[in-house]
Amino acid sequence: MPGLNRRDFLMGPAAGLVLASCGRRPAVRREALVSVVRRPDYTQALYGDLRRVVSEHCLKDGLHVRGKRVLLKPNLVEFEPDSPINTHPLLVHAALEAFRELGADVFIGEGPGHRRNTLDMAEAAGYFETIPRFEEIFTDLNLDCVAAVRLARPHSRLQSIYLAQSAMSCDLLVSMPKMKTHHWVGATLSMKNLFGTVPGGVYGWPKNILHWAGIPGFIADLYHTLPGRFAIVDGIVGMQGNGPIQGTPKRAGVVVAGRDLAAVDATCCQIMCIDPHRIEYLKLAVGNVAELLRSIHQIGESVESVRTCFELIPEWSGIRQS
Amino acid sequence: MVSLLEFQNPDGGWPYQRGGPSWTEPTAYALLALVAQKSAAEPFARGLRWLHAAQLPDGGWAPQRAVRQSTWMTAVAALLGPAALGTDAYLRGIAWIVRQTGEETSLPSRVQRFLTGNAQTDPGWPWFPGTSAWVSPTALSMLALRKAARCVASAQILARLDMGAECLLQHACSDGGWNYGAARALDYDAHSYPETTGVALLALSGRDTPAIRKACGWAQAQLARCRTSEGESWLRLGLLAHGQLPSDSAPPARPPRTVQNAALAVLASAAVEGRNPFLE
Repeated sequence: MPGLNRRDFLMGPAAGLVLASCGRRPAVRREALVSVVRRPDYTQALYGDLRRVVSEHCLKDGLHVRGKRVLLKPNLVEFEPDSPINTHPLLVHAALEAFRELGADVFIGEGPGHRRNTLDMAEAAGYFETIPRFEEIFTDLNLDCVAAVRLARPHSRLQSIYLAQSAMSCDLLVSMPKMKTHHWVGATLSMKNLFGTVPGGVYGWPKNILHWAGIPGFIADLYHTLPGRFAIVDGIVGMQGNGPIQGTPKRAGVVVAGRDLAAVDATCCQIMCIDPHRIEYLKLAVGNVAELLRSIHQIGESVESVRTCFELIPEWSGIRQS
Repeated sequence: MVSLLEFQNPDGGWPYQRGGPSWTEPTAYALLALVAQKSAAEPFARGLRWLHAAQLPDGGWAPQRAVRQSTWMTAVAALLGPAALGTDAYLRGIAWIVRQTGEETSLPSRVQRFLTGNAQTDPGWPWFPGTSAWVSPTALSMLALRKAARCVASAQILARLDMGAECLLQHACSDGGWNYGAARALDYDAHSYPETTGVALLALSGRDTPAIRKACGWAQAQLARCRTSEGESWLRLGLLAHGQLPSDSAPPARPPRTVQNAALAVLASAAVEGRNPFLE
């Protein structure tokens, strides 16, 4: 990308410092607390679930939300309210209430990759109906102010990227994906969901620059670049087969949450009977997947008790966990 | 029109949504809508000043001030034509558009596609330089070049228009319309979208093939069930361009939620009344 100006250049080293402090391959990974909650349906019980989960991570995992600006980033993909494409609005509202009760200033944002009319899509997905005054707290990340960020030690072919300012400036970015298989990367979870912070207004629909840059590498780049994060994965009804759009519903009956997005995604993979070692973006992001798995401290349900194998298209049969 | 003027930023440009920064796309569409309405001289002049200032030295337009890369939005700006933009700025914009192609038709990519047995496609236009061609930027660039061809004698422009049309036809979905530009992914058929089908049909105005007639049929069927103001507007514009907008079609029902969609609704209504700034 040509012509970074002085301001960008000053932002670049800051991003680089963040990356350096995270370390691409830390010598010792900190323990990653991952919550697995069994929840078979989208019911009011989700509000209690999310309150417990977020509180637990505040108490045991150093999550600070009081007085913080929290961005909930669901996954909105298509106008298919009866299909498990989009993050369910009830889960998003339950998260919103949970963070608000703990004193956070919460807003919602998303920048879909294929369709331009985000608010219309949110309406079709039931967000207006479920979340009071939705339009007032929603930011279309595709059309947001943008910030140029230099990627220090990138895994993709990009050296810099424009990102939605709301995602860069919030105190806590909560990635809220749908648990889905994905025909380009195997599984789309909380890390892949970060693609929605890349502004379509700059790169278009689809955000094809990420394909040319290398999707797994760019997922790893975003994992290292975006500030404070938390993940809440909608695995109550996920998608299997030819995801992320044309797959079939898969009732997994779980919500998975945690501060370390890689740990959350690795846990989701295991629930889906997918081998995390074979997910390229996990390898790029953390270096040593075995070490990542050893660092996970599971709370709530065990993976074994909720494991349910997601169907894979033939091209991805090699990632099946044996 | 009142709502469009209310949204104009103090800097003269228009945001996508109230309170946002000015972007090239909603500014250019708002100005086109003002042209269609033949009104509001002062806001028009301020908008044009913003647009002039947003043009980059390479002749293209960046999406917004914070971005220093010309993109597909150049095509939307160029739709305003030389009378509004001034001949020099306009021609530099057109030259930028002519220089752009999808990366999949670059020489290295063509060689790679040949070696891997993948089909070659005609060059279209990308959203962002260095990436693949997609339906919307290809259609918008064709609309800009169609206008340019009326005032610039250029075989290159005519050739790009023909290749752009072929590119669009090569990317039609099996159901008849267009989605963003991937009709199949891993051997699975993808579905068409109303907005991309509408803008592709508009860009293919004046051409008649069985594929275009099939697309018109798909677009007519979508008119009543479309769920976005943008989709409704592009479908109407596209069908009208082929004389296929049903005379009894219901007026647009969806509220525009962005400035560019509000402007598109104005432009579609103006086209129905016989004034179509995309094709005039």
